[in-house]
Amino acid sequence: MTITRRQLLATGVAGSALAIVGAGGSPALAQAGNDTITLAFAARSPVALNPQFQGLLGADNWVCAQVYDTLVKTPDGRWATNPEEFVPSLAESWQASEDQKTWTYKLRSGVKFHKGYGDLTAEDVAFTFGRHLDPKINTATKTYYSNIATVEASDPLTVVIKLKQPDPLLNASSVSLLASAILCKKAFEEKGDAFNMDPVGSGPYQVERVDSASGVHLKAFADYFGGPAATQNLRIRYIADTTARTLAFASGDVDMIEGVRSPGWMDSMRQQAISTIFDATAPGSINTLNINLTKGPLADIKVRQAIRYAIDTQAIADAFGGIATPMVGLIASQFPGKVSADQLPEALRYGHDPEKAMALLAEAGHAGGLTIPCFVSQREDYASIMLMVQEQLRAVKINLDMKIIDHATFHADNRKDKGTLILQSTSYPPVPTLTISNILAKAGETKPDGTGGTNFSHYGDTIPGIDDLMEKALATADFDQRMGVVQDMEKQILKDLPALGMITLSYVVARNPRIDLGYKVESGPAYWPMNKAKRVA
Amino acid sequence: MPSLIASKLLDAIPTLWLVLTLVFVALRILPGDPALVALGDFATPEQLALFREQAGLDAPLWQQYFAFLWDVVTFDFGNSLITKESVAGVIGYNLPFTVALAIGATAIGVIIGVPFGVLAAVRKNKAPDQGMRVFSLVGYAIPDFYLGAVLLIVFALNLKLFPINGGGEGFWGQLYHLALPAITLAVLKIAFLGRLTRTALLEVLSKDYVRTAKAKGAPPKTVIYKHALRNALLPIVTGLGLSLLATLSGAVAVELVFNRPGLGSTLIKAIAERDYTLIQGAVVVFALMVVVVNLLVDVLYTIIDPRLGS
Repeated sequence: MTITRRQLLATGVAGSALAIVGAGGSPALAQAGNDTITLAFAARSPVALNPQFQGLLGADNWVCAQVYDTLVKTPDGRWATNPEEFVPSLAESWQASEDQKTWTYKLRSGVKFHKGYGDLTAEDVAFTFGRHLDPKINTATKTYYSNIATVEASDPLTVVIKLKQPDPLLNASSVSLLASAILCKKAFEEKGDAFNMDPVGSGPYQVERVDSASGVHLKAFADYFGGPAATQNLRIRYIADTTARTLAFASGDVDMIEGVRSPGWMDSMRQQAISTIFDATAPGSINTLNINLTKGPLADIKVRQAIRYAIDTQAIADAFGGIATPMVGLIASQFPGKVSADQLPEALRYGHDPEKAMALLAEAGHAGGLTIPCFVSQREDYASIMLMVQEQLRAVKINLDMKIIDHATFHADNRKDKGTLILQSTSYPPVPTLTISNILAKAGETKPDGTGGTNFSHYGDTIPGIDDLMEKALATADFDQRMGVVQDMEKQILKDLPALGMITLSYVVARNPRIDLGYKVESGPAYWPMNKAKRVA
Repeated sequence: MPSLIASKLLDAIPTLWLVLTLVFVALRILPGDPALVALGDFATPEQLALFREQAGLDAPLWQQYFAFLWDVVTFDFGNSLITKESVAGVIGYNLPFTVALAIGATAIGVIIGVPFGVLAAVRKNKAPDQGMRVFSLVGYAIPDFYLGAVLLIVFALNLKLFPINGGGEGFWGQLYHLALPAITLAVLKIAFLGRLTRTALLEVLSKDYVRTAKAKGAPPKTVIYKHALRNALLPIVTGLGLSLLATLSGAVAVELVFNRPGLGSTLIKAIAERDYTLIQGAVVVFALMVVVVNLLVDVLYTIIDPRLGS
């Protein structure tokens, strides 16, 4: 448990820092203003500033969100949870065929690329999506494009996307995602790998300079089609250490910092800097506890039910101080396709009931308790949640023999089918079929040699799963009908319990009140546009 | 002298080979998959296979090993598996920050620690000696990341005498940003070198030739600095070398707290990401630095005590 001690020390240092800051007076939340807004994120240095690059850091996504545009976008500060909510961006209009298999996008004319690279055309759009469709090129979230058959430029300002199966949520599942942001074909081909650090987009800011020590320097793009950004300069800094980031915020050096998703962080910030504004997305990441149905007692539904009854997801959510919400199924309560407790029969509601858990264990032949070996990532959100689960299960005589290991090993070992109870934290767009198929599709079953996917529970193999329902959902063109099938899947999952919805955990950014974003952050991905942000003090 | 240097460099070759081999083997044994780190949790098996193929990770291990050795011999460290940046470029950017920090901290350690040690030795069991003992205890006990945070809060955040973090730009900017991190690391060095100097000097001060020098009426300063300290320098130089090496590789916490670029924190990040090429490149540089520092210590030995060179 060395890591726990280290985490404790790190938290202690951050806490002491905040305490001393408090003792020394108010944090410099209203220092001198200028035409620059500075943001700092928990990372050491940029990986790449190309939205298609795999393994981008959160900070890189923030840069890309300012530098590039997508064809359509979600409203500022939230997800679009149904097809009507998307708003125009590079495409001024779009039309889906009746069978939802052909989507036509009309591009805005006169959209300029940065650095004199000319106008954006349908060729750039076809090039961008073509890279996702090319099996010989690794791109970010490639699986999200697997339903796209072709992307063609029918004229300089018209793009036609043809799908293999109908998708009423195409804009949510791929077109509005950051990885679909339109690249400048000419610049990409001209610069090669150098494009990753010297990108050319069409967004409100262009990259002026990248430096490991001082971060990414962005400058407002004067020819932006949406009008110039409210603030001339934006600087994205990479400050990995929590204490260093907190001190930079307290000193007024940076205006916004990425928060820490562990219990207590927001409370300690509030105590010392009462005027700090916290912007938080909901749902943020979805945390599920996947149960490996091939591992001993976990194959028994009564044991899985006992685990479900023993875990108090409300208590876990409460520990995070207002940035977490307990989950019912696997779909976040803010997303279409979710089920709420009142829609479920009594048997599938699974309130916190330790007595019932112990009775189920006794029925399963484990009246004296049982021990389940497992491992979890050392990352603060993973470790915090699983340590709470461990305590709650202990109360019903389930002993989690838990090892805390480094994050890379955690994922690699899960892929080799070594896990038993596997906590998974992932951010999804509001496309419920993506969430469920990533976690539970039979085709993604994990294999011991590491060549499988991310169905760690082996659902659909050891017991019949949701594959038939998934096929039905993906063949349904009507949005409401599709969501109805998704709800059926949710109920099936709650009956079989191959994976438990635990909590959704918001992505949090602390903001100095001198910065006005220009809109309210309610949901959406873990990055947001800054073109309306300005200093107000 | 040139023959000494040549001989030491030749001696270093098997050591370097052993280090490189150990690093190569350790990385392949280490659990974790660079492809999975680079592509994310939901990468498909096909994507993972393509990544491994493009990175050469699907080749037989012996081929990877000899390719790695050849790359080292030709100083071609390739590109980072994660960012695709040139490893030489990443090291070239970060190394000067680490070297500056190590040299800055060591210089402060020598300038303050050695005179403190001398004072503690000549005033044995008096107030300066007791003070040195207390300072050493505190210096050894306080973690550098905690001390760094406290210094930052007091001198950067509240008194605004130093920058809050970063590496700085331009010579003076970098020097300004170096001060507080160097002082943080120097506290331990002052404690270490002070204790070492005190112990070494006390041993020499009890020797016959020191008593003789005193008996013939040599002034105390001459006795201490010319007769005693010079003969006590060998263990101090050894300690200095060790201390310098420890800083080169062990300044990670300070680099993180002050958000400075540096090779130590770059290496830690590379290990977390299983970035084999960057880890290998960084370890080669660390190994070379060990060789160079040891060589410098050996050269200093012969200057301090010419008998060792003969």
